[in-house]
Amino acid sequence: MKRLLHVWAKHEKYVNVVLFAAAVVYPLIFTRQYLINVGILCLVYVLLSLSLNVLTGYMGITGLGWAGFFGIGAYTAAILSTKAGWNFILTFLAAMAVTGMFGLLIGMPTRKLSGRYVAIVTMAFCEICRALETNMDWLTRGSRGIPNIPRLELFGMKFNKQAQYYLILFLVLLAVIVMGRIVNSRIGRGVLAVKDDDIAASAMGVNPFSYKVMIFGVAASLAGLAGAFYAHYIGFIDPSNFTFDQSTIIISMTIMGGLGNPMGSVLGAVTLTVLPEILRPLMDVRQIVYGVMLIIMMIVRPQGILGGFNLKHIRQQDSVHKEVRNE
Amino acid sequence: MSNEVILRAKQVTQRFGGLCAVHNADLEVRKHEIVGIIGPNGAGKSTLFNNITGMYKPTEGQIYFHDMDITGKTPYEITKLGMARTFQNIRLFPTMTVLENVMLGVHSKTKANLLDVIFKTKRAKKEEEETLKKAEEILKLTGLYEARYNYATSLPYGYQRHLEFSRALASSPELLLFDEPAAGMNERETKELSDFIFKLRDMGYSILLIEHDMKLVMSICDRIYVLDHGEVIANGEPEEVRNNPDVIEAYLGKEE
Ligand SMILES: Nc1ncnc2c1ncn2[C@@H]1O[C@H](COP(=O)(O)OP(=O)(O)O)[C@@H](O)[C@H]1O
Ligand SMILES: [Mg+2]
Repeated sequence: MKRLLHVWAKHEKYVNVVLFAAAVVYPLIFTRQYLINVGILCLVYVLLSLSLNVLTGYMGITGLGWAGFFGIGAYTAAILSTKAGWNFILTFLAAMAVTGMFGLLIGMPTRKLSGRYVAIVTMAFCEICRALETNMDWLTRGSRGIPNIPRLELFGMKFNKQAQYYLILFLVLLAVIVMGRIVNSRIGRGVLAVKDDDIAASAMGVNPFSYKVMIFGVAASLAGLAGAFYAHYIGFIDPSNFTFDQSTIIISMTIMGGLGNPMGSVLGAVTLTVLPEILRPLMDVRQIVYGVMLIIMMIVRPQGILGGFNLKHIRQQDSVHKEVRNE
Repeated sequence: MSNEVILRAKQVTQRFGGLCAVHNADLEVRKHEIVGIIGPNGAGKSTLFNNITGMYKPTEGQIYFHDMDITGKTPYEITKLGMARTFQNIRLFPTMTVLENVMLGVHSKTKANLLDVIFKTKRAKKEEEETLKKAEEILKLTGLYEARYNYATSLPYGYQRHLEFSRALASSPELLLFDEPAAGMNERETKELSDFIFKLRDMGYSILLIEHDMKLVMSICDRIYVLDHGEVIANGEPEEVRNNPDVIEAYLGKEE
């Protein structure tokens, strides 16, 4: 097991390239609409799970109501495209901006509240969002939902299933790159320091509050992006897509996959999207299987399957050992 | 030695509910001075440190850094102005490596924002290189370079203290505040520590330290403040303080 980790660390780049290549060829090999749809759904959840990982894995704040942000992104895109006829590129950007703003707002209570209370704030936020989506009839059409959201198209060309798949794959790639850059920077160090010990971080010149708020904004805007894509892809949204159950699914993916590791989110999202599909014949028992699995996970490996280690650190440590051996 | 006062606490009082942890404390540190704060456990030394560094806003009184009133400023603002501290119970960042801990110390002197980082701007790249170089230099100075990729809290206790010094130095402070730097060190390590502190002074830093080890304090400090029950009961050069009857009664008498 440990060996494997070192090998992975050493060849991380290649592993990433191979995984990405596999994702690229997937819709070329599995051309059935159903399988491509499952692939797209996986990637939407990967993006959601990644976005939550930014907040929960790196910043250490548990986001319990993540579907709230997913919903804001989806509604923003749906409303702007159906009422104002905006192209998807604009609705994506708008969704990110609007959701990011809500992220900053929900980050505000971190000034006074500690982690677990903030988690409850996010949970309440999700419920409020759903209530607003249901009741602001003039804007959201309430529980009737918004139908006929324009499909993704560029210069008059409609995206076919494969093109839609590649678009969400591209968004995921972008998110992974952005996350990587943030983590390996001054900002990323500040985030980790605040997570580890906000008093010491503050004594070393980091403003913990502004970091928490900023990361809330970044994470939320990525969730909003996932929502915007989803709205255009599925064509119809209503408040029942963005419930607390949905939030539970997202956080399960993030935590089970591994906190603080983008690959963890990929693993978590893909497993928990594909598994229910496979277990579909089991119907009701499926929920139980699902629940039991999660409980076992939390006991055996609370930091998640791919959580709790840092490949860069492993690589650095190995390089020093090698130097020492060579001398 | 210049006479320029860089830190001044004026009539600082800190109450916690009914408890008065610090009472009307006056204190000064001049440029290139090594100043000690001594006093029995619970005398209010760490609390005064917390007041100076912005962890607690004093109930009454003012703190000046140079001529600027910094009372009520936040720790990160104060660090940026040029003060850096260590903690009595070491507070390192456990999920970060030794190197990253020190790189974090440079935080207050760097500027790259979120967009710089996402778009990898020239400024961000240059700053990151400089940060790395600076951190490595400091680690060479403090003897931790070989361990740079280890996790901070995997170091032996003594080295963890060195890492805290390193992290503090990384913020390019003018004034260093050490809270019981020799705690848990053996005689040899304490000797090394005093050499290190002298070296820091020669490099141009001013130092305010809290210490229990009398030998250390008496041998390295230019001036000493004695705190008892939150009050400054004496201050002066080591010799004066050592012979002050109040001090002997309050502190040294009990110790020896
Ligand atoms: N945050 C706090 N809340 C309440 N009481 C405190 C707090 N910090 C320190 N004290 C109390 O203030 C007094 C001085 O503590 P401290 O400054 O740590 O002493 P010293 O560092 O001189 O040993 C002690 O009685 C301590 O219990
Ligand atoms: Mg103390």
